[in-house]
Amino acid sequence: MLGRRTAMIVVTGMFFAALMLSLLTHSTGVVRNDPARNIWIPAELTMPLQLQVAFNETQIYFRYRWPAEEPHVLTDLLRYSDGKWQRQTRTPIGSDPDGLAEDRLSMMLDDGSVPEFQRYGGYITVGANMRDFTGSGADAAHRRKYLPATRKDPGDWYSIADAATLDAQRRAGYFLDLWHWRAHLSNPLGRSDDQHIAWFRLYDSGETLFFSNWDADRGQPRWMFDPQRGGVRALRWEDVPAARADASEHYYLREDAAVPFDPDHEWREGDVIPGQVLREAEDSRAEIRVHGQGRWADGYWDVTLVRALDTGHPLEDKVLRDQGVYTVALSVHRDARASRWHYVSLPLQVGLARQADLVATRFTGNAPDWTSVETRDITLFYPGQVSWPHLTGARHAGSRYIAKGVPVKYRHKESQLARYGIEMEFDREIRRQWWLTLVAGVLLIVSFVFSVGRLFRLREG
Amino acid sequence: MGPYHAIMVHFPVALWTVAAGIIILRGVSAGPLARAFDRVLVSLLFIGAASGLVAYVLGQLVWPPDTLQATPLGRNHMMAATWSLFYWAAVLFLRWRTGERAWEGAINRLIMVVLGALGAGLLAITGTLGGHLHGAPAYLSEILRMLGFDVYQTYYVPNGVLAVLAIVIVAMPALAIAAARKRAAPAMHGEGGK
Repeated sequence: MLGRRTAMIVVTGMFFAALMLSLLTHSTGVVRNDPARNIWIPAELTMPLQLQVAFNETQIYFRYRWPAEEPHVLTDLLRYSDGKWQRQTRTPIGSDPDGLAEDRLSMMLDDGSVPEFQRYGGYITVGANMRDFTGSGADAAHRRKYLPATRKDPGDWYSIADAATLDAQRRAGYFLDLWHWRAHLSNPLGRSDDQHIAWFRLYDSGETLFFSNWDADRGQPRWMFDPQRGGVRALRWEDVPAARADASEHYYLREDAAVPFDPDHEWREGDVIPGQVLREAEDSRAEIRVHGQGRWADGYWDVTLVRALDTGHPLEDKVLRDQGVYTVALSVHRDARASRWHYVSLPLQVGLARQADLVATRFTGNAPDWTSVETRDITLFYPGQVSWPHLTGARHAGSRYIAKGVPVKYRHKESQLARYGIEMEFDREIRRQWWLTLVAGVLLIVSFVFSVGRLFRLREG
Repeated sequence: MGPYHAIMVHFPVALWTVAAGIIILRGVSAGPLARAFDRVLVSLLFIGAASGLVAYVLGQLVWPPDTLQATPLGRNHMMAATWSLFYWAAVLFLRWRTGERAWEGAINRLIMVVLGALGAGLLAITGTLGGHLHGAPAYLSEILRMLGFDVYQTYYVPNGVLAVLAIVIVAMPALAIAAARKRAAPAMHGEGGK
C-alpha cells in the first residue's frame, strides 16, 4: 500500500494532470459539421479584405481586394448525363464539392435613413427562421433578408406591414442599397447586380443581368456556345474545377454570343452548358459597373465597382454627396460557398472627403490614382446563425445595450462574433457539456481538498 | 442587480487575494510575521466564503438564468465563479480541519503554496470574465488566449475527459483513505498486543 508521502504526491499529481487534460481538450468534441441540420463550419472563421473608396464630381469608385485560394466562376450548370440533360443547380451546405458556387462580393449601403444599420450592420436584416438556418423547414426558401420595421412583429417574417406603410417607408429612405458582384452572373458583363433590401431582398427595376437557360418543357438547354466563335458547343464536366475568370476561356454564355441549342448534335456524357444566359441589363439594374476588369490573380480577387453618385433612382439607390458620411457592410462568398456560408463585416462609416472610419478621396478625371487613396483593412467573419430577433430578445445579454443604441463594435470584435455565431449553432449541446464540466470541476475540487485534508491529518513518519 | 454584484464582489476578491498571499507566505516562511498572518487566515477565508456566496447569488440575478447561460462569456464567468466559491470554501475547510498540520513538512507546505497560487489564478480569471461581461475587458484575457483559453469560447470538456475526471474524482479520496488505513493498521495491531 502507499505511504503518506507517496499518496500525497500521487493525489496532487492526479489533480494537476486532470487540470492539464481539461485545459488541453477544452471546447472540443461538440462542434462538428452536420449537414442534416444545415451546419457546416468553415476552417477559417475570419478573412481580410482591403477597401479603398474614391469619387469625382459624378462617380464613386469602391475597390475591393480579398484573398481566395481558388477562383470559383461557375454556378448553375446543365449537364448531359445518362443520355439526358440535367440541371446541376443547388445551394450547397458549406463548400460545393464540385466547386459550383460562384465567388461573390456584396455591399449594403445606407445614408443614415436606416439608423440601426449604422450600429449593427447586416444583423438587422436577418430575421428568425431564415433560409438555411437549422430547423427552418423545407418552406423557408423565400424567407430572405428584410428590414425590421417592415414587419408588425420583426420576429415574424409573415407579419408584413401594409403596402401604404411600405411605400411611405421607401419614400423616407428606409431601405438599404445592395451592390452584388458575382464572378459568373455579372462580372463577365462588366457589371454588378444592383439590388436593395426593404421588406424583401428586391432587384432594382429593369432587365435582369441573366435569365434561365433551362427549357423545362423539353428538358434541355435553350442556348449553347457558338461553335463558330469558340470551336465548342459545350464545356466539359472534368474542366469545371479548373475554370478561371479569364476572358480567353469559355465559362459563361452571353445572349449575343450564343446560338440556339441543337438537340440533334451528338452530345457526349459530361458535356455541360451554363444554366444561366447573361445579357446587358437596363435601367436601374444596370447602374453599377466593374471598373477595368474584375480579376483573380495570385490568390486575390481585385474588383473595382463604379456607380453614379446620384443614379436618378432614389427609391432604389442611395444618393451620395460630397461631404456626406455613409455606412457600408460587406460580405464575401468564396471557396465555392453560397447562401449564409459567407463572411461579413461590421458596419463601416465612409466619409466622402469627410472624417469617418474610411475617408473617400476626391479626385478629378476619369479614374482614381489608387496609390494615393487610403486603404482600410477590414476583418470579415463567419456569422453563424444569429438573427435580429435573437439579438433584441431576452436571451441575448446585450439586448439592453441594443435598446440603448450601443453599437456592436463597442462590445464585440469580429473573431468574438465568429465564435459566438458557432456557439449559437450548437447551443443545446454546448450548454449540456458545459453543465457537466462545471459539476465535474466542483467535484474535482472537493475530492482533491478532501483527499489532501485526509493526508494532512496523518503525521509524518 | 448588476451594480450590487459589482459592489459585493470586492469583498471576496479582496479577502481571498489576501488569503492567497498569507498561504503562500506561510508556506515559505515559519517566521513570526507569517505565523501572525496565519492566525487570521481561517477568519478571512470564512468571511470571504460568506461574502462570496452573497456575491454569487447576486450575480445569478443580474440576468435571467437562460440569458446568462446563453452566452460563452456568461457561461465561463459563472463556471469560474462557481469553482472559485467551492475552491475557497474547500481551502477554508482544509485549513480549519487540519489546523497547524497544514504547515507540517515540506510536502504539506508546498501543496498549500500551490493551492494559494491556484486559487489566486482562478480568482483573477473570474474577475477578468466579470469585467468582460461588464464591458471592461482586461489584457489578462489576451494572456489566457496565449495559454490556450479563448474567453469567447465556452469552456467545456468532451465526454472522454469527463470519464477521466470521474475516475480521478473517485481515485483521489480512495488513495487517501487507503493511506490512512495503512497508517491505522499497525496502531491497531499494537493496541491488540498490549
